[in-house]
Parts: sequence; C-alpha cells; structure tokens
Amino acid sequence: MRFLLIKALIIASLTSCTLSTTKHLTAITPDVINYHNGYFSDLEKDYIYKANIEAYGHHFGGLMIIKKIKNNHHRVVFTTEFGSKMLDIELIDHNFKTNFIVDELNKKMILNTLKNDFRLILQEVHNVEKMYKNKNFIVYQSKTDKRYNFFFVNDCSRQLDSIVHASKTKEKVMVSFKNVEGQLAKELSIEHKNIKLTIDLKYVGKADKTLP
Amino acid sequence: MIKYFYIVFLVVSIGAVTAQETALSKAEIVAFKENVKVVSTKTKTIESSFTQYKHLEFLSDDIKTLGKMMYKSPNLVKWTYTDPFKYSVIFKKDKILINNEGKKSDVNIGSSELFKKLNQLIVNSISGNMFNNNEFEISYHKTDGYYRVNFLFKDKDINTYIKQFVLKFNKKNYRVFEVKMIEPSDDYTQIIFDDQKVNQPIKDEVFTN
Repeated sequence: MRFLLIKALIIASLTSCTLSTTKHLTAITPDVINYHNGYFSDLEKDYIYKANIEAYGHHFGGLMIIKKIKNNHHRVVFTTEFGSKMLDIELIDHNFKTNFIVDELNKKMILNTLKNDFRLILQEVHNVEKMYKNKNFIVYQSKTDKRYNFFFVNDCSRQLDSIVHASKTKEKVMVSFKNVEGQLAKELSIEHKNIKLTIDLKYVGKADKTLP
Repeated sequence: MIKYFYIVFLVVSIGAVTAQETALSKAEIVAFKENVKVVSTKTKTIESSFTQYKHLEFLSDDIKTLGKMMYKSPNLVKWTYTDPFKYSVIFKKDKILINNEGKKSDVNIGSSELFKKLNQLIVNSISGNMFNNNEFEISYHKTDGYYRVNFLFKDKDINTYIKQFVLKFNKKNYRVFEVKMIEPSDDYTQIIFDDQKVNQPIKDEVFTN
C-alpha cells in the first residue's frame, strides 16, 4: 500500500513538472533561426484598441494605443476613454522607457507585469530554439532569460494564433489573437495564469459618422 | 518686383492680424462674465452631440470619437460615447457610473478624482461660476467668432496630468462650444460640441446606469 502511494506521488510530481504546453506536440527539427511576429510591425499604422481589464475582481477600461516608431522601437500609451493619459512607455530594443505613469499604476509589480506583457506582443523577432507541430499548428519555441515563449502558428493560414509564456514547468501568460485580418489582429486577449489579471483588447476602427 | 513683395507681405500681415486673438480688457472681462452668467442661469438642460479628438504627437492621426453629452441643472452630467465604441459615464453627486459596452460599474481606476474635477469644471463653465475660482490662473482672449478662456492649474498634483484647460465660448450665445485639455507634454484632448439643444426636458432616469 505504502509502495503504491509513493509510486502515485512520484508520478504526480513528475506529471506536474512537465510543461503542459508541449504535451500533445511532436518535436521537429527547427528549419528557421528566427520567428517574426508581424502584428504590430507596420510603421504607418496607429494601432488603437479598446481595452478591458479585469484585475482581482475589478473591472476597468480605456484605450490602448500602440505605434511602431522605428525598428525595435514601439510606443504604448494607455488612456481613459476621456483621453486622460494613464501610462506612456516606450519599448526600445529590450528596454523600457517610462514617459508618464499615474501614481495608481506606478507600482513595481503592476509596471513589470505590463512591461512583460507588452514585450511579449510587441517584440517582432524571436530566436527559435526548438520547434514542434501537431495537427493544426507549427510551434516555435524561444528562450527569454529563464522563461520560454511558444508561438502557435496555424499551419494552414500561417497566422499567429497564440503565444504561451512559460517557465520550465508552468504556463504564466497566454496571449490569444482573434479576428485576424492580414497582419492586423483585431482582438487580443492576454490572460495571466498565476495572477488574476486579464487584458482584452479590441481594435477600434475610425469613427465613420461625421457631424454636419 | 520689390513693390510686389511689399504688397504680398502687407496682405499676409493683415490676414494674420485679423485671425489673431486679442486679450480682453478689464471692462470686457466683466461684461463677458456677466453675459455667461445670465445665459447659464437660464440653462436648465443641455443635450449636445460632440466630437472628441485625442492628439498624441507620435500618432499619424488624432483619435476621433463621437458621442452625446447631457446636462441637467444643477449637477447631473452624462457623457455617452457612441462611435467607434460604446461607453458612457454619469457624474452623479460623488458617484461615477460607468457602462462599458454593457458592463456596468460604479468604480474606476484611481484617477476618478481627476475626472470629478474635470467634470466639475465643465459643470461650472455651463453654470457660469468658474471665473472666480482660486484654483486657476485665468486669461481671456477674443477673436471675431469666439471668446477663449484659458485656465492654468495652480495645483501641482493636477499639473502632472493637465497643464491647461481651454474653453471656447460662442460670441453670439455665450455658450461653451469647445473644451481642450492640454497635458504637460502638449498632447491634448479636444471636445467640440455641436447641435446643442437647450432647455429641452431630460428625464432623471437618463442619469441612471
């Protein structure tokens, strides 16, 4: 009986140590050096999203404004619907520059979480360390510090479907891209697995009615 | 040839002068304030369409949003954004009621104090009792078509969010037709009111979430 219990515990601990992301994937030999995420890569485009944020039971919204300034340089501004600026940061290469932040958001944990999320969706080129596949997806794995990013690319459409940001054993953040038109993801969902935070972004087109 | 240049220069200069704004004299300021007050005391409700432009220097285009503003004396205000997204906010006593694409709440991210202050400013500008406010350094200007009143915040805390508040008043009816909030970075939010309907009945239920 004791032997069975120990065996069960060993199996359970071994299973929990395996990253679920790659569970049903088959490893293949990488045929590319880099993976390129092109969703925020158009220099001409203003990427304006309506943001809905659920954080620890609180709901709030605003506008998430993203612009590629030049290569390896993006600017992100979060405003209220009224237009009041809450956050204004720039991602230059791998580093962030904070131009403005309201006191309420200026907490190390919040800011670092947001920065990591933005880096995940904005960084265009990722070194491919491993590759996997299953019936529907080609998966590119890259390494960042002690974490890993998995890019799930639809095998038919070649569109990036989701990104999983994970440690060696646990998924931390899941980004899903929906309603994709060409290089534009009209809906994004950033879901945190270890904290109660979800950021939903919906692309805002231009106001089409003009006042007389 | 030189004569031609002089003429062109003269014409351009005259054009620039006529388009320029001039500061109001002390007597004009007194008269302007009085006129705003007379109009605002008669104003019980306002229903107005608006266009909001968010200007950020790094964007190719300003972000344009359309909506409707409703005011009921003495202090009920509802802003409804209709295009390109749906969002409404009601300022009611100390509460802010939000309807974010169907999701209703009465909480908002911390800067609600700032919202309250901005709303108070707009309510005050409609009710005409903001010109004696110690919170601002106020300057008055005029052009052929409108009066422009600049409100510079003295409060350093507010100053980190908004440097200046600019209201434009129609010269014919002394009503606000444009609100501009300028940030320290010179990015701004501009709201232009259009099709204002004054003193049409508005039910109190409009100001519930």
